[in-house]
Amino acid sequence: MYWLSKKRYIVLMLIPTLLIYIVYMIAPIIVAVGYSFTKYSGIGNAKFIGLNNYIRLLGDSTFMLSLKNTMVIFVVIFIFLMVGAFSVALLLNNKLKFNGTAKALIFSPAIIAPIIVGIIWVFILDPEVGLINSIMNEIGLEKHTQLWIGGDKLTPYCVAFIYLWQQLGYVATIFIAGLKMIPEEVMEAAKVDGANAWQKVRYVTIPMIRSTISTAAILIITGTFKIFEVVQQLTNGGPNHVSETLVTYSYATTFSNGEYGYGMSMATITFIISLMITAIYSFFAREKVE
Amino acid sequence: MIVNKISRNRRKISLYILLSFVTFLVMLPFLWMLLLSIKTNSEIFRMPLSIPDRLSFDNFRRALNTLDFLQLYKNTFLIVIMTMAIELTITFLSSFVLARMVFENPKIKSMIYGFLIIGLTISPFILLFPVYKINTIIGLKEQAGLIFPYVASSISFNTLLFVGYMKSLPSEIDEAAVIDGCSLRQLILQVIVPMSKPVIATVVIFNVLYIWNEFPFASIILQDSTNYTLSLGASFFKGKYNIDYAGIIASSVMMIIPQLLFYGLFQKNIVDGMTAGAIKG
Repeated sequence: MYWLSKKRYIVLMLIPTLLIYIVYMIAPIIVAVGYSFTKYSGIGNAKFIGLNNYIRLLGDSTFMLSLKNTMVIFVVIFIFLMVGAFSVALLLNNKLKFNGTAKALIFSPAIIAPIIVGIIWVFILDPEVGLINSIMNEIGLEKHTQLWIGGDKLTPYCVAFIYLWQQLGYVATIFIAGLKMIPEEVMEAAKVDGANAWQKVRYVTIPMIRSTISTAAILIITGTFKIFEVVQQLTNGGPNHVSETLVTYSYATTFSNGEYGYGMSMATITFIISLMITAIYSFFAREKVE
Repeated sequence: MIVNKISRNRRKISLYILLSFVTFLVMLPFLWMLLLSIKTNSEIFRMPLSIPDRLSFDNFRRALNTLDFLQLYKNTFLIVIMTMAIELTITFLSSFVLARMVFENPKIKSMIYGFLIIGLTISPFILLFPVYKINTIIGLKEQAGLIFPYVASSISFNTLLFVGYMKSLPSEIDEAAVIDGCSLRQLILQVIVPMSKPVIATVVIFNVLYIWNEFPFASIILQDSTNYTLSLGASFFKGKYNIDYAGIIASSVMMIIPQLLFYGLFQKNIVDGMTAGAIKG
């Protein structure tokens, strides 16, 4: 192989990838951070204003609300998707007939475009024609029907639930891959020692698939901060910005209001927050292994 | 023993019931869309839950008249093909270098690899405006402006999978090829590519799905409605159909069904492809 590894070949084969990657992946981050220190309306030149955008963020109640909504979405998703997908994985890991079909069906929402997912759920959550309120009316729970979307409280929870629906099978599949790697003998040994089902899960399964759990967790963390289309379809951040998330609010500020500098400061902060949560999680996950 | 068997059967039955219930719940949104898609608007408003008296495909006919589905499919397809051709070529070559070629300084190699992998943590939302800006400077717009951001978004994932796979191929292959007088081009095209078919399939499926469903970049870069992709077209249903709910539903169903059929055909590959990156990473 040494003979074919001429420097000229190496450079020639690496350049296209490196070039596109730098121009469209790395440079944009520098550009984004750069604009976040400016005031820029798209016309004329960007004006350097130092940290003013970041100071403004602290006093922007809509930004604080979208930060809170994003955190609500994140916490609900993290808890329920981890537990739910893990349970589904345990369920699908039993030797049952139709298991393959069930797995394929439960996985299927993950391949649908998020924008279509949003449209589908509008027709489930809509207070007037939606499935949930219709069923509640039908069975005599009229009094308990809710403004699932478009009200001032429930939208973030609905967004979290929809994400849960879309990712359940996907995350479960990742867990199943981990479960398959546990040697049969270990489970047998636990059984011989008289461990019950819960003890087996708690003291054998979970410790043995720790790295898979980390993978799933990091996937969920980064995924949550990319939820966009669903919010846009459900409420578009409304009414009055109460259901805005970090991503939708920064998108609206940047592209609808044309406040490019301010929007980039939001995008930068959002990116830093998601990196920080990933880092914090990785730190604690690592501590436990040692 | 008999008691044991009965309790085991009971456990099995409860597992079946649980599994069917979970599967049904996950499928419910799709079934609900199908039901709504064959109802008229007044039925949807008056009695959303009822089963309609007769099967009607009016909604679909109206949806086809309102939207140029053929155009949306064609646009999406074109971008998929162009992006895939470019990204497969360049990332396969760069991954080959990183997996199998000899560097004078091996540190540089692992630095480049690490650099190319960082992208996995980068969210597209911080890239949107800068990419738009960079496109304007370079002079790219509409479809041409989408291809490079999509290629760039694929680089980290492809590098991770390609390098991992090519490293696992035995190094004797290269030596034998060199001894037989293979050129570098022959080695890659006639030996390594055919051996890498499984990982290429995984990469193709993962990226085709990503591009097919992608919305944020498309919404910023595509301005002319004749260039819209499926996702972008779908985001305008509300505006196009106004309060014609049945029309919106029928259009969505027409986008979901081909995708589910595709999934049905390549289900195993798709599931493997989508989970491969996560598990490897």
